[in-house]
Amino acid sequence: LPTPPARLPYVPQVPSMALLGKVTASTFALERPRCVFDGLADASDTVWLAVAFANASAAFRNPLSRADVPPYKQLLTARSYMTLETAAAEYSCSAPSPSVLRVGGDTACRDQGRQDPCNGPLPNPGPYRVKFLLMGCRGPKAETRWSEPILLRRAVSPSTIDPAPARRGSAVVVIASILASLGAVLATAVLGALGAKVWDSLCHQDLGTDAFIRRSYRTHHIPPALPQPLPPGCGCSPPGLCRSAPQPPAPC
Amino acid sequence: MAKNYDCVHILQGLLVFGNVVIGMCGIALTAECIYFVSNPHDLYPLLKATENSDIYTSAWIGIFVGLALFALSILGIIGVIKASRTLLLVYIILMLTTFAFEMASCITAATHQDSLTPGLFLKQMLERYQKSEPANNSDNVVTKTWDELMLQNHCCGVLGPSDWQEYTSAFRRMHSDADYPWPRMCCVLDAQGLPINLDGCKLGVSGYYNSNGCYDTISGPVNTHAWGVAWFGFAILCWTFCVLLGTMFYWSRIEY
Repeated sequence: LPTPPARLPYVPQVPSMALLGKVTASTFALERPRCVFDGLADASDTVWLAVAFANASAAFRNPLSRADVPPYKQLLTARSYMTLETAAAEYSCSAPSPSVLRVGGDTACRDQGRQDPCNGPLPNPGPYRVKFLLMGCRGPKAETRWSEPILLRRAVSPSTIDPAPARRGSAVVVIASILASLGAVLATAVLGALGAKVWDSLCHQDLGTDAFIRRSYRTHHIPPALPQPLPPGCGCSPPGLCRSAPQPPAPC
Repeated sequence: MAKNYDCVHILQGLLVFGNVVIGMCGIALTAECIYFVSNPHDLYPLLKATENSDIYTSAWIGIFVGLALFALSILGIIGVIKASRTLLLVYIILMLTTFAFEMASCITAATHQDSLTPGLFLKQMLERYQKSEPANNSDNVVTKTWDELMLQNHCCGVLGPSDWQEYTSAFRRMHSDADYPWPRMCCVLDAQGLPINLDGCKLGVSGYYNSNGCYDTISGPVNTHAWGVAWFGFAILCWTFCVLLGTMFYWSRIEY
């Protein structure tokens, strides 16, 4: 009987650093398991990532050889698959490497349906649990613990966005109310002035008494005639009624 | 009598001064509105696509109101100096009409500026950007405008690249989430227009993608535009109100 694989205490996890794309709707990122398999791995060993739905991780059985590895396209039926076959040397302490693994980043292998281990995008939000499995020539040699459940993002429809503003800005209310009141005052003033004019003209009242603005106009009336000087000698006779020749005064 | 003539001259002087200010403000309003209508920031296609381009309507009204204010101020100055009842009556009626139009323009600009929320642009962007079967040409124009906006301002989405993750979109129907968590325009591009590090951009490593949203770039100029039309128009109208009241008082005191 093959020896059961060694259980390593390492727990795979999503990187803690701030990466906006570390969990998307169909992919997620994992921290690279550096130094985890040192001392156990030979040069020819490979490290696989086992991905299973969170409720199917307990039922997952390690494959006994490379030929038994569940492929990507059986994920929905078998509820798990294995991917990211990598040489164990790449996870050793001395290997320089990018610090993050991306699960689900290869859309070409999904579309072309190749049989090789396929790192295809995940079909639904999960949640999923993953573990690393060190496979040698005679079967699994070591395995890490299962990760915490990883839930992928779920997108909502844009019809849930409400484009209306939360509340009307106060500026709109100020402008509208002040302008409306100004307009109303002007309209009232015009109507009032016109009404007063119509009322006055109907009642034939004298308008000129309190008008102080006069247009500049030329007057064309005839200047009053200056009174003629009285001829000498007019006595009791009424003024202006003098005869030209002096007469003896009538008895008074 | 001499005191009356002093009062007359003071009132005439004030009205002439008021009309001079109205004339100058009219020219300024026309110039400002022509600047806004000339679309200096290329944002007009986005506003037109939101079916909410009333801010442009307000600017167009502002152009004609400004010219009318200038012409009416000249008429007003002539009417006040000649103390002509007819001219001043024409002036008052036309000025009231202009007042009404400018009031409409100000209130429209203020109301519609209020309605340009991030949600409005977000919804439009998600529904129209890179739509695979564009319903009409405006969808292509929206895509082109957004691409140029994101390229030139180094921004992504309305609030950030997570807009593309939080909501489904026309873009998402065309491009898979694994290959395109967000559009390529959100990546930092080199001189040839290719992302400098595509994997870094897809993962969201800072330095390889643009993490800030474009809403500030859009709302900045549009807010300036709307406030320029609304508040400046409001100030002109307050001044015009005083001048109109003075003119009406002056008109009612002119002898036949």
